[in-house]
Amino acid sequence: MAKKRFRIGGGQGFWGDSNDAAIHMIRNGELDCMACDYLAELTMSILQKQKNKNPKAGYARDFIELFQHVGKEAREKNIQIITNAGGVNVKGAVDAICESAKKQGIRDLRVGYVLGDDLTERLPELIAAGLDFKNMDDPDKDFSDISQSIFNVNVYYGHEPIAQCLEEGADVVVCGRATDSALFLAPLKKAFGWADTDFDDLARGIVTGHLLECGGQAAGGNFDFDWRSVPDMDRLGFPIAELSSDSLVITKAPDCGGLISERTLKEQLLYEIHDPANYITPDVIADVGHVTLDEIGENRVRVSGVRGKRRPDTLKLCIGYHAGYKVETYLSYAWPDAYEKAVCAADIIMRKLRRQDFLAEDVRIDFLGLNALHMRVADMNPRLLEDMNEVVLRIAVRSTDRSEAAKIIPEIAPLQLNGPPGASFFGGRAQIRDLIGLWPTLIPREAIRLTSQIREVR
Amino acid sequence: MAEIYLKELAHARSGDKGDTSNICVFARNPADYDFLKRVLTAERVKEHFGDIVKGSVVRYEVESLGGFNFVLQHALGGGATLSIRLDTLGKSMASALMRMKIAQDE
Repeated sequence: MAKKRFRIGGGQGFWGDSNDAAIHMIRNGELDCMACDYLAELTMSILQKQKNKNPKAGYARDFIELFQHVGKEAREKNIQIITNAGGVNVKGAVDAICESAKKQGIRDLRVGYVLGDDLTERLPELIAAGLDFKNMDDPDKDFSDISQSIFNVNVYYGHEPIAQCLEEGADVVVCGRATDSALFLAPLKKAFGWADTDFDDLARGIVTGHLLECGGQAAGGNFDFDWRSVPDMDRLGFPIAELSSDSLVITKAPDCGGLISERTLKEQLLYEIHDPANYITPDVIADVGHVTLDEIGENRVRVSGVRGKRRPDTLKLCIGYHAGYKVETYLSYAWPDAYEKAVCAADIIMRKLRRQDFLAEDVRIDFLGLNALHMRVADMNPRLLEDMNEVVLRIAVRSTDRSEAAKIIPEIAPLQLNGPPGASFFGGRAQIRDLIGLWPTLIPREAIRLTSQIREVR
Repeated sequence: MAEIYLKELAHARSGDKGDTSNICVFARNPADYDFLKRVLTAERVKEHFGDIVKGSVVRYEVESLGGFNFVLQHALGGGATLSIRLDTLGKSMASALMRMKIAQDE
């Protein structure tokens, strides 16, 4: 059934984002649907790590908290909520949502969910089937180097199984590694009855998702053009897309902070895409190379000129593998000669490590407040260095050998008594952190079996 | 020859995919777009970052937005999950580019 106007909100930018804007838009956004993206590249591996420790974990718990706040109101207003908060434990997330629904006294809730993106256990079968797992970014890397240390394998999938849940009347849809933009495309495609060959429309749906999937970043957050001009960032509203059969307007709910303008949107439009003419998703290849943005009212911007091309035959697969250990250490110094003291401390620490035949793949020595972010591009004018009020020395190491990475840990605190004057050690002893490497590759669609299911809360 | 920071002519945002950094850059004033097209080449960006960027730099032009998308390969110290940089996601790659010095009469 084609619908005249459809409003969808982007309720989350990442796992760890604030729930405030999502709650506000459910209350005041006149929404038909809200989609919440929780998964960045690293997130799946972190969730897998949590699940390995506790089989009940492995999904974004934050979503349950959000649902606790908005579930009842969303159901009453018939606002569908679509999320990839399921991570690597979709069923666990569904259990928690159903439990929360009961607590809230929600009746007649249909929770749809998608399984089949977690290929960790199917890996031997896929290897046996002859898939070569060629690394997309580094075709020369050898898969056998990592094949023994893999701990998660997930495929990025598109809108189809989500749309299937919606066709079956789902009020909430929970996914694992659905692509961020598919969470948005699925309800739009259903609302407007787009066909699989309506490439321009599908691409408009994908661009809607792309603009909304980072939440506040389209509404004045992280706004380089003029961050001072963004009103009330303490109650930043997240973006809402308003679509008709042939238009796309980005806006936000009333009574919240933030800014929707041509400039806030264009910083997001090209964010984390590569070739603007070929933004590849499982659903369609979007071309944003000729998009125009027009301010048509206060906090209202029309997005036009999105084009689409047929979807690719392959899907992206991301393999997480154990890749060694990292230790980060900090030590601070104050005026006078803060920088010179910190340089001397770094030299002392590195000499002591070398005497222990320290072996690392990577070592970084940075000075917070000076060059830890911009690195070699930072201004290292000697006048600036001479008169610093204070500086924090940071030494970080990476090693595939845990005991090598650990060698730096006991060498930091002693500098308070044994090195240049005034050293201040903070944050406690450094921790050894496991590193997860990501191996991106492509897999034929036929190798993937996704299923859509519904669980009812009565 | 008067030199200014790129920041005065442009605004930018950076993101990550694996070890690839993307920096989208837009002319603050549309009238400066052609000037930026001339001076802000992929080679210049690569040179600016030096050994921070180990791979290639490709520039895509998006005329309708008055902007460019720069894609920097092997630019994030191994990528967010492996990097030992403080800014593992390269959120400050954009501002690092904005400090490039530009001669106004180039």
